Amino acid sequence: MNTAGKAAVTAGVVAAYAVVRRRRAAAVQPSDRWPVVTVSRAPEEVRASLPEDLAHLHGQVEFQVRPATGDKGTELVAKASGDVPRHELRLAPRRMKAVLEAGEVVRPDVAPTHPGPMGKALQLVTSRAGGGGRL
Amino acid sequence: MKALCGEGINDVRVQDVPDPQLLNDQDMILKVRLSTVCGSDLHLLTGHIPFMQAGDVIGHEFMGEVVEVGPGVTKHRPGDRVVVCSFIVCGRCWYCRNELYSLCDNTNTNPAITQHLWGSDPGGIFGYSHAMGGFRGSHAEYVRVPFADHTAFQIPEAVDDMSALFASDSGPTGWMGADLGGVQRGDVVAVWGAGAVGQMAARAAQLLGAERVIVIDRFDYRLRQAELAFGVETINYANDQVGDALLETTGGRGPDVCIEAVGCEAHSTGPQYVYDQVKSKLKLEMDRPIAVREAIYNCRKGGSVFVLGVFTGVVDMFPLGALMNKGLTVRGAQQHGQRYIPMLLDRIASGELVTDHLATHVMPLSEGARGYELFKKKEDDCLRSVFRF
Ligand SMILES: NC(=O)c1ccc[n+]([C@@H]2O[C@H](COP(=O)([O-])OP(=O)(O)OC[C@H]3O[C@@H](n4cnc5c(N)ncnc54)[C@H](O)[C@@H]3O)[C@@H](O)[C@H]2O)c1
Ligand SMILES: [Zn+2]
Ligand SMILES: [Zn+2]
Repeated sequence: MNTAGKAAVTAGVVAAYAVVRRRRAAAVQPSDRWPVVTVSRAPEEVRASLPEDLAHLHGQVEFQVRPATGDKGTELVAKASGDVPRHELRLAPRRMKAVLEAGEVVRPDVAPTHPGPMGKALQLVTSRAGGGGRL
Repeated sequence: MKALCGEGINDVRVQDVPDPQLLNDQDMILKVRLSTVCGSDLHLLTGHIPFMQAGDVIGHEFMGEVVEVGPGVTKHRPGDRVVVCSFIVCGRCWYCRNELYSLCDNTNTNPAITQHLWGSDPGGIFGYSHAMGGFRGSHAEYVRVPFADHTAFQIPEAVDDMSALFASDSGPTGWMGADLGGVQRGDVVAVWGAGAVGQMAARAAQLLGAERVIVIDRFDYRLRQAELAFGVETINYANDQVGDALLETTGGRGPDVCIEAVGCEAHSTGPQYVYDQVKSKLKLEMDRPIAVREAIYNCRKGGSVFVLGVFTGVVDMFPLGALMNKGLTVRGAQQHGQRYIPMLLDRIASGELVTDHLATHVMPLSEGARGYELFKKKEDDCLRSVFRF
């Protein structure tokens, strides 16, 4: 690998670690903003599917459903009432949105067998990236 | 099965990898017949998109035969001949409903990476790093196609495999540049880059009514190919001043629509090339936007610039002053293929859109490394290497 290549890969892994670090640092504070997604379905339809899709979070997360602006559908807010990891809190509405809109949550392909040291670092990130991020 | 994998910077090798399986109800498995290299792969392999793992299968522009479908697939059956869009889309989120398919909300399995990089996550792509979903690519004997009803398209009888191949990625990308760039009847359109994407953009501009189309590159063989295939005008920037040539051609106005089909590793003969190279080596700049700068500078007042070339991060010396004071519209996108593919296949069938000349080097997958070498170095008059299975 040439120097530019190594630098590029290192930059990527640093960026990837930043994703993990941010996630770890983000303990749920009462003043934190709650994760919210917009579902391209009517509020009644979203409300109707809440209990079954998110049964495993019963009692720990309060979901609020409100109409989105224009033709955007429905906003689904996830508020932690118990001790729910931020990762779970983000993942739940995102997965529910995928099921409501597309019928299922797309599964990632099987990871390569020999990812190399940089690839392993990246796997650390991607194993959690479904519930990370800003939403 | 055999697959061509990225093993490190500019290192691709054929490896044995496990056969793909149906993982979702709406998946299908495709037996790949043809899969081509793309300029986007070069950005990936040089490390501009540093979210690859060694052993990731690359390739995203392909066609083939359906061999297995999940219970949720309704449009395709085993034996069908289909072309697959490089973007995987759900077809039902707000973005898909509004034909902004590459922005699909439900197909990037690793949204956190691009949410942090760009503010929000676009959809997933085949073989295009873990930032774009981590899906396996198409340079393989078989590939899993998620949301198959929305990602793959039946190929009409009248369209041969090779022509259909380019309806996967370069064809719709070029069409999008001309369409969303707002090409009108009578326009003068300039296209930077005479690769497959630039050539497809040039042809789309003609079909959308442009009166003159000018393609810019430094490789004569590519410019000649565009001239021969589509009768466009050309400028070789290695021995001509692009700005002066465009002014002369357009009666001092500048092109109405400028389409950039070069991307983040643009080349230049001027001092800005050295400047951008040094800055990107020092990590002060991620991408080299040389053709974007030139397009903005040379576009007519009130004109439009469409960025088709792939960029990943920050650039500098971006001519914001020209954009603002000349009242330009600058837009870019990853391709919204689903919006155009059926129409492109019809145009190919009618003979209006020729694509098969793009496949200059057809070879078996075992020669994958050579195929990328020829394409990267633009050797032996290579426009696109295509792997036949
Ligand atoms: N938006 C999308 O969805 C999408 C889809 C496919 C490809 N792309 C991007 O489109 C770009 C082109 O792809 P391709 O497959 O045609 O690649 P390619 O490498 O075959 O062609 C790029 C061409 O640009 C020319 N070039 C370099 N610097 C130039 C400059 N300063 N001025 C004019 N021409 C210059 C090169 O000589 C080359 O001929 C890439 O950036 C690729 O990533 C985008
Ligand atoms: Zn491509
Ligand atoms: Zn979608």
